[in-house]
Amino acid sequence: MVVRIRLSRFGNKHQPFYNIVVAQARSARDSKPLEVIGTFNPIPQRPTNLSEEQARTAKAYKEISLDRSRAKYWLGVGAQPSGSVWRLLGLAGLVQESKNVQN
Amino acid sequence: MAPRIQNQIVSNSLLPYLSSSSTSSSFTSLSSRPRRSCRSFSSTVAPQTRLRNQMFLWLRQEAAELKHHTPGETNYLTSKAEAARGYVGDPRPFPQNIHYCSESILSEELRTEIYNRVVKQKKSVRAVSVELKVDMRRVAAVVRLVELEKRMKEQGKLLALPYARAIHEMVPTTPLRHYDPSTHEEINDLPVHRLTNPQIFYPVSESRQFNRVDAGRVFSAAPALEHEQAAKDAVDPSETISRITQNPSHIEVVGKGEDEHQVLQPADVRIPHPHMVASRREQALVPQERAQQIKIYQARLQKEEEADQERKRRSEERKEKQTQRVQPEDSRFEFRINDVVVSQETTGKDGRNARAPGRRYGVPSYDRKKGQVKIPTRVEV
Repeated sequence: MVVRIRLSRFGNKHQPFYNIVVAQARSARDSKPLEVIGTFNPIPQRPTNLSEEQARTAKAYKEISLDRSRAKYWLGVGAQPSGSVWRLLGLAGLVQESKNVQN
Repeated sequence: MAPRIQNQIVSNSLLPYLSSSSTSSSFTSLSSRPRRSCRSFSSTVAPQTRLRNQMFLWLRQEAAELKHHTPGETNYLTSKAEAARGYVGDPRPFPQNIHYCSESILSEELRTEIYNRVVKQKKSVRAVSVELKVDMRRVAAVVRLVELEKRMKEQGKLLALPYARAIHEMVPTTPLRHYDPSTHEEINDLPVHRLTNPQIFYPVSESRQFNRVDAGRVFSAAPALEHEQAAKDAVDPSETISRITQNPSHIEVVGKGEDEHQVLQPADVRIPHPHMVASRREQALVPQERAQQIKIYQARLQKEEEADQERKRRSEERKEKQTQRVQPEDSRFEFRINDVVVSQETTGKDGRNARAPGRRYGVPSYDRKKGQVKIPTRVEV
């Protein structure tokens, strides 16, 4: 069976929050995974403690926390990232960013 | 623009019985009117009860003074009664509740002065707090609120000036005095620490000194300090205190896993302004001239602040080092990637340790449960 790196949804209604998990592909989305290697908060955060000019130009940010060494290990042993995780890992520079990501 | 606070006599429209036109006329007309018109909901036969009569009598005679108030002075019932006895300025508005005191608020001038010193003269919050005798948290709040007010003025938003005026007229205020500023509040107060709640019976041999440092260690269940170290610390207590306050991350840690906590420090270290104790101690030991004292005090404060700034800069640098910022070209957002560690140490044996990344499995979240208060009850500054 395939091991995948994917997101599992936590948080409440209208407040999504994702754990980046390593799990068996056929297991349920929110079931207990093999390992949690990070988190992703898709709700954009406004940067604070800025001067007025900075606040006008500052971009909202999304937080990702990731254990790079564990991610590399799981990729190395053949775990397949899902589409959204591929994008996140691409941002972190762990996989090649490509435009046509599968599912 | 008109000043925020006005200083003129204002008639009190909050007390309808005392408003000027109705005072005399309504009482005279009461007796001449038919019974039912004045108290239509009452089934009492008598036109006025005794208590109502007493009330109106009081309103006409003793309470007549309360009709007008001088802005900047309180118009409390108690203060009138106390003034008759020669005691002025009682902050208790309710004669029946002697435990309630109305605390004074910052006057307009003091507020502006705080803002000027922090923002224009670039003094530190700590220094301004000591100079004007206002709590550090309040100083910070004043700066934030004045900034907010300025921004609202720039944007052309309406300010609640009548409200501010009314409040400043009603409650006592702390005036600004450049020489010998009046104490607005205690600036060196210390909240009770959770660890000091239990009563501990701790036998100590008579031959040994037992001081605040030792008490803190007992409360936090840390082993007693070694004699050599204790003797070394006791030589120069001010130096010991500043060493701890300037490097709070070096405080010894006790306990394991979830129960890990820092050793409870003596009150001299935990108070908001430990440098004041140090300078006082120095004064007592070596009496100096006033100019000299001020110089030493400023130098100490400067050193404290520099250490504080350095610590903040280092912690920000460390945080920045752990964060990678990515700005994709086609995205409206920036992505901040933090490094975390997934290992046996962080996840724990059962995988539920709070130090591990991610939301936990098998740990119930009570935030939708009845009776869980989600409104923050305190602000950490």
